[in-house]
Amino acid sequence: MSKVMSAKEAISQHVRSGDFLFIGGYVCRSPFAAIHEIVRQGIDDLTITRSNAADDFDLMIGAGCVNRFIATFLSLGVYGLGRCFRRSLEKGIPHKIELEEYSNLSLPMMLLAGATGMPFVPVKDMIGSDLMKVKSFMGDDKYKIIDSPFDGKPVLLVPALNPDVGIIHVQQADENGNAQIWGIGGDCQYGANASKKVIVFCERIVSRETIGKDPSRTIVPAAKVVAVVEEPFGAHPGYTPGFYDTDFSFGYQYQQASNTEEGFQDFLREWVYDLEDRTAYTQHYIRKFGLAAYKKLEAEFDYSYPVSYAY
Amino acid sequence: MTSKAGEYIKPELMACCGAREIKDNDLVIVGTGFPTMSANIAKYTHAPNAVLMQESGVVDAQPKRTALSVGDPCLNPGAAMIGGLVDILGMLLQAGWVDVGFLSGSQVDKFGNINTTVIGDYDQPKSRLPGSGGANPIGSMARKTLIITLHDKRRLVERVDFVTTPGYIDGPGAREKWNMPEGSGPSVIITNKAILKFDSETCEAYLASYHPGNTVEEVLDNTPWELKVAEDVHETQPPTEEEIRVIREVLDPYRMISVYEKKGYV
Repeated sequence: MSKVMSAKEAISQHVRSGDFLFIGGYVCRSPFAAIHEIVRQGIDDLTITRSNAADDFDLMIGAGCVNRFIATFLSLGVYGLGRCFRRSLEKGIPHKIELEEYSNLSLPMMLLAGATGMPFVPVKDMIGSDLMKVKSFMGDDKYKIIDSPFDGKPVLLVPALNPDVGIIHVQQADENGNAQIWGIGGDCQYGANASKKVIVFCERIVSRETIGKDPSRTIVPAAKVVAVVEEPFGAHPGYTPGFYDTDFSFGYQYQQASNTEEGFQDFLREWVYDLEDRTAYTQHYIRKFGLAAYKKLEAEFDYSYPVSYAY
Repeated sequence: MTSKAGEYIKPELMACCGAREIKDNDLVIVGTGFPTMSANIAKYTHAPNAVLMQESGVVDAQPKRTALSVGDPCLNPGAAMIGGLVDILGMLLQAGWVDVGFLSGSQVDKFGNINTTVIGDYDQPKSRLPGSGGANPIGSMARKTLIITLHDKRRLVERVDFVTTPGYIDGPGAREKWNMPEGSGPSVIITNKAILKFDSETCEAYLASYHPGNTVEEVLDNTPWELKVAEDVHETQPPTEEEIRVIREVLDPYRMISVYEKKGYV
């Protein structure tokens, strides 16, 4: 069954204001095309989560789409602190988001618990730190400390998360949604599988037969997937291994633009609101920076040896 | 560029101080910048079998350019293993396999607690910082944590505004009370003026050595609490000829590390 559709259709059919979204990526494979579409459609009141957020989450916060953020970290990497994130928390612009804070171990483990149907999971981080002292919208359900039933020592438990929708960007998927990645994983696999339904954005749609030639790369089976969107260059300005590099100069432009509220609004207009879709985005990029700049991001090819699953 | 041991910049010395804390065969979780440089100096000198890992999911990356984040594209091709956060921070760190973690922070206090969450009040922040990321689990569970920071009264504080990553928390017995791995915790604070180590009785940081060109008085003047001084306090060993050769010929031919001078690491 083909679940292939446009980004506009996938987001409008499967994402509602008020939803709880897992949005994958870790510098690697951030689903920017999906994020821009969410902003363009004016979907708001969202709860969002992912370990290690960057310019992508900063943009959603600045655009006013987010009310709650189950977070571990947000920065622009070499370009410093997230400007919109700071404006929201320090000055309430456009509004103050509610933040529930974990770490890069506990949050992925909460998603792993959600993905495997466990109600909660013990973790060895957070304990003894001030992350225990701050609780937001999850209240006392942020974590519990019990004496371990096995050795009587204190152990911290964190609850499973089951987002309404998981949105990921992958290298390739078939039209039914079997999604394959390679390269840095972050919490993508667990976050997607913890979600009640998954939207897969991909660089290319391949045949079911191609998937079957190397099935160990599949991180989400088609059964969990409700939409497949082919969106080349869809993780820009982030990167997709084997397809294109991180666009560091664009990252700098985002930093400069988002330094002020006005600059950020101009950026949103230019790169989100005034563009109909990702194709228009890529065309705008090439028109503005030149084909050479676009080509420069293109990955070289250095194929791995083929693997054989035959018996 | 010729490599004379006598000529070096402060960030190079600090990277060497970090390298000397790494033993052969250690499993090391690194971030970007100093930590990667330190761990690589160790690999090219006394610890060829040390293994570097990035929390994003990478083991033994072979980058052909300088990684600008722990999710950088250049960490992918050539790595020994790539998974995700649960693989590195779960299967390796939480499972007890990680020997050394490198951390830095906007504030570091005398018990080695690190703040990367907020300056000022949590609910009405003066400055909102990124948050924990992988720092909290690394500081909680690595056998040994190395902390790198600027040495001034803004970065070094008696008590951090927010304990994002636990050092010795509020002193002796605190890590044990919370059931953190035995013997784990911060082992050194490497600053641009000195190396501080931790007293095993009081858990407080003390002055172990001052860098060439710096003095005990200068270090004390720039530390906001009454810093204890080791009886055998001495000058930090400058980079050896071999360490400098590795930095300049192998690891950093373009002298990228000099950007830290502009950030105040002088």
